[in-house]
Amino acid sequence: MTSDTDRLATKPASQGREILRALLSNKLAVVGLVVLGLLIFVGIFGKAIAPYGVNDIDIPNRLSGPTALHWFGTDNLGRDTFSRVLVAARVSLQVGFIAVGFALVVGVPIGLIAGYYRGGVDSTLMRLMDILFSFPAILLAIAILAVLGPNITNAMIAIGIVYTPIFARITRGSVLVVSEEVYVRAARSLGATNRRILFRHILPNVAAPIIVQTTLSLAFAILSEAALSFLGLGVQPPNPAWGRMLADGREYFQQDPWMGVFPGLAILVTVMAFNFVGDGLRDALDPKQKSVIESRGQSA
Amino acid sequence: MRQRGTQWRVLILLLALALMAGACGTGGSVDITTTTAAATTTTAPATETTSGATTTTASGSTGDIVLVAAQGAEPDTLDPHMTSSYASFQVLENVYDTLVQPAADLSMEPALAESWDISDDNLTWTFHLRQGVKFQNGRDLVADDVVYSFNRVINEGLNGWRFAAVDTITAPDDSTVVITLTQPSPNLLVSIGGFKGMAIIPKEIVDDGSIATNPVGTGPFRFVSQSPDQGIVLEKNPDYWRADEGLPKLDGIRFVQIPDAGTKLTALQTGEVQWIDSVPPQNVDSLSAADGITVGRVPGGDYHYFALNENRQPFDDVRVRQALANAINRPEIAEAAQFGAATPNETAIPASNKAWYFDYAPFATADTATAQSLLDAAGVSDLSIEFMVTSDFPETVTQAQVIAAELAAIGVTVTISDVDFNTWLDREANGDFDAFMLSWVGNIDPDDFYYAQHHTDGNFNFQGYSNAEVDSLLDQARIETDQAARKALYDQAAKIIVDEASYTYLYNPDNINAWRDEVVGYMTRGDKAVRFVETSLNQ
Amino acid sequence: MTGFLARRILQMLLALLGVSIVVFALIHLVPGDPVRVALGTRFDQELYDTLRHRVGLDKPLIEQYFSWLSHALTGDLGVSFRNGQPVTTLIVQRLPATVTLALAALFIALVVALPAGIISAIRSGSPLDYAVTAASQVGVSMPDFWAGVMYILLFALTLGWLPSSGYVSFLESPVEWLRHLLLPALTVGLISGSIITRFVRSSVLEALNQDYVRTARAKGLSEWQIVRAHVLPNAWIPIVTVVGLQLGFLLGGVVVTEFVFAWPGLGRLALLAVKDRDYTVLQGAVLYIAFMFLTINLIVDVIYARLDPRVRVS
Repeated sequence: MTSDTDRLATKPASQGREILRALLSNKLAVVGLVVLGLLIFVGIFGKAIAPYGVNDIDIPNRLSGPTALHWFGTDNLGRDTFSRVLVAARVSLQVGFIAVGFALVVGVPIGLIAGYYRGGVDSTLMRLMDILFSFPAILLAIAILAVLGPNITNAMIAIGIVYTPIFARITRGSVLVVSEEVYVRAARSLGATNRRILFRHILPNVAAPIIVQTTLSLAFAILSEAALSFLGLGVQPPNPAWGRMLADGREYFQQDPWMGVFPGLAILVTVMAFNFVGDGLRDALDPKQKSVIESRGQSA
Repeated sequence: MRQRGTQWRVLILLLALALMAGACGTGGSVDITTTTAAATTTTAPATETTSGATTTTASGSTGDIVLVAAQGAEPDTLDPHMTSSYASFQVLENVYDTLVQPAADLSMEPALAESWDISDDNLTWTFHLRQGVKFQNGRDLVADDVVYSFNRVINEGLNGWRFAAVDTITAPDDSTVVITLTQPSPNLLVSIGGFKGMAIIPKEIVDDGSIATNPVGTGPFRFVSQSPDQGIVLEKNPDYWRADEGLPKLDGIRFVQIPDAGTKLTALQTGEVQWIDSVPPQNVDSLSAADGITVGRVPGGDYHYFALNENRQPFDDVRVRQALANAINRPEIAEAAQFGAATPNETAIPASNKAWYFDYAPFATADTATAQSLLDAAGVSDLSIEFMVTSDFPETVTQAQVIAAELAAIGVTVTISDVDFNTWLDREANGDFDAFMLSWVGNIDPDDFYYAQHHTDGNFNFQGYSNAEVDSLLDQARIETDQAARKALYDQAAKIIVDEASYTYLYNPDNINAWRDEVVGYMTRGDKAVRFVETSLNQ
Repeated sequence: MTGFLARRILQMLLALLGVSIVVFALIHLVPGDPVRVALGTRFDQELYDTLRHRVGLDKPLIEQYFSWLSHALTGDLGVSFRNGQPVTTLIVQRLPATVTLALAALFIALVVALPAGIISAIRSGSPLDYAVTAASQVGVSMPDFWAGVMYILLFALTLGWLPSSGYVSFLESPVEWLRHLLLPALTVGLISGSIITRFVRSSVLEALNQDYVRTARAKGLSEWQIVRAHVLPNAWIPIVTVVGLQLGFLLGGVVVTEFVFAWPGLGRLALLAVKDRDYTVLQGAVLYIAFMFLTINLIVDVIYARLDPRVRVS
């Protein structure tokens, strides 16, 4: 009984391979994946690779541009920018993953429930999400940080809370559509429990837009950390984080333009990588894109 | 087919709305600003500028010479008795007067009071008011106004504590004010005139509730309007009591608020503003060398410090505090945070304050050996300290990072908490900190420098320092009328305060303003007061 | 339709109520209060208590909230703790700057995004597509304060073409209004445009892959004809959604840009209110921003409902 509906609903393994192929045929996405891989490597081994300590203050040599000793130059306290950029990778990636993880873990279930059960539950949940959503994001993050205390963990929670409504909305939207699909109605008429339907049939089929949004939100989370740092919150000094380094570099721009360049590039590259992968995933996961990819070989 | 048409129409409509509203969105502002102009200029002085106040600025009309001054923070209330915001005082300095005021060398000179006598027992001060002074609403200044203002400060203002020794304030006639004291107060002049927190105000603007938004004083400029796009607009006071000297020279001042330090600097460099209230220390040298811009720099009366919470172990042990005071490197900290625009100092009073400076430097510089032995004597190892700083005072963030690196050399781990200023204040008041870092601003008299922070009963003694000998020295110094004797007492008190590291002092930063070369007659002051009374603009 | 509208308006009002409660609760959880701010470092417990009592901050929180709410419902948003000005005045003074910036930025965004997104979708997979995608990626990936700072340094300081900060009302001088508006609008607009480009591209792409489009192609219609006749009418719904969201965001969320350009907008007012714990101003400002955001959402939903009857039922 259930195996019939399962067969209808789940994707065969060959489809997974097709998705991967589609993804890898997208040149930008491949670039993004490579960069991300590099970033994760740096995030794990950053401290070990870094030539200097992140807090080695050296005032006489501060604000120098790139030199043989300091590939990325030094900051306003004489610390080696290259080392700090490397070690900051971990923090920035952490912010992205934990904040978005939070938003996923809270937002997706809310969206699932709202979209599936509809009616009053849907209304209430979506109104709660609306309340969060109509709050200016930065202000909400600042207020939360002020309440919880401004450190990097709380910044992750704050950013996570801010992104939760997006995930709830996207999930709900997809659930609304997928609920009308044949196999779901079939499953229901065959007597499957709600839980089973949600997890076995609905969730896998709404995964695509959620995955895409995840990569996009990862990018934005890193930018949010930068904005919070610019306003003086978030990562506590002297711990390096790209956003804070960029904001500091901006203050010393007229003395040493190089100070902010490399953290800025790091942010740019990371965010772009996430976005390329996200775009590629979206193109690959959309079944209708198959024809696009096929026709790519023929288009002008 | 029909649907498609509708959709196109809606899309085009949206775009058109966007364009139109963009242009006309400000159309509504006509009504808005006139109503707000009415709201903000309720006690309209006899001028023609009421309704046009916010849309036609003083600078825009008829070739008036208006200085555009950029400040980095927004003033809060414009009630001089109820604000502690430096941004508010930058404006109010030019609108209000006090009985006496600091001169260029920071000695007290006559302002609204022409002269004063002190009784032989030092308990009665008689002030003789200047004649012919008018408020900006046309009314003459009388002694009752002084009595009213001071009573308001005592009863409701933020600076009432400066009048602690005052017994009575009376006005025997329209031009005389008599203040009697419970004990001699050699620093009374500074207490009643050190800054505009004790300004003389007219009663009527308090009664009609407009004082917070529409200040009326006796100063060289009077308030016109305040709006987010124009900033705070002041215009020349034609009835100013120094009008016979041709003052003020400017027709008006416009204070604009540019919170971002970089943007503020750029605005000066492009000439969009003619004066800025601060320059990031790292830009001072390049700005001084730049064409068209003058940088005003004087040693200031501010001081930076950190304080350890003596209600927490092991900071109650004086040896621990002394260890830290020995381990740090003040020149390095000053160089890092202020790029040389500061003077390291192990006491509070700067060398530029010739009358009260106490040359005392008991601590070594980055002497890790002494520091380590002090820690060992106190039986402390693996010490971990949380330094509470705030990005709203960005130097504290830099200082803390440098100190953290310096203290690492003696095995002390410093964690830094960068909180917003109000959280900082809250935690400070609640004793919820290991160490806090900040600066005290604009001090003139040694009592300002030491009493409130280090006396056991001091209002701002948040670090919990208590030394009976210091208390008695400070209490004595407060009533000692002989200058030399008074200095000796403060020197003694300072010596103990510094030795016991109640505060660990770091440096005195220079006061720095910058302006276009066309601005003449402005002087950067040691007390950081911003006075445009003698300023003019060469066009 | 009216039933749908009535329901959505009711939901919007409930959401606004919810927002006001969340703001109130949140800002009161934050340590410090406006009296502590006013006293600054010269804190005195007695004075603190007196001032708190005078402005009614020592009353129970529920009482304070309901007092505020009852006044708000009559249109009185109270008075700023910080400077005594009426909250409504403060907000209304900043609306022109906020709305102008939002609409100008949106205009720039659409001017960039619509052509770029459509063309890159039609020429999907081509070098042009990759170029547009990459460019829009750069636009999205730059932190707004960095972009703003770079523009100021280039156009204001180095070239001297445009002013670096401030706002001038259109009625005072249309030319100055435009000159002051350009850089902040560009800063926000290009970032917004990049986001919208991607949505335009993906929804046009999706529409292009529908069966009826393949039929139209088989019938021999040109790409452009297909786009006009079949793709755009169906693609623009998600585009309107994201435009609506962006507009809502622009009306209150560009705090950092407002800070950098000293732009007197609502975002900056709210930011300052958080810093200074100015409860009344924060509540008023956030309420206004939320109101504008929800209204735009409502309009978008109404457009949706007019075109897709299924939505009305859900």
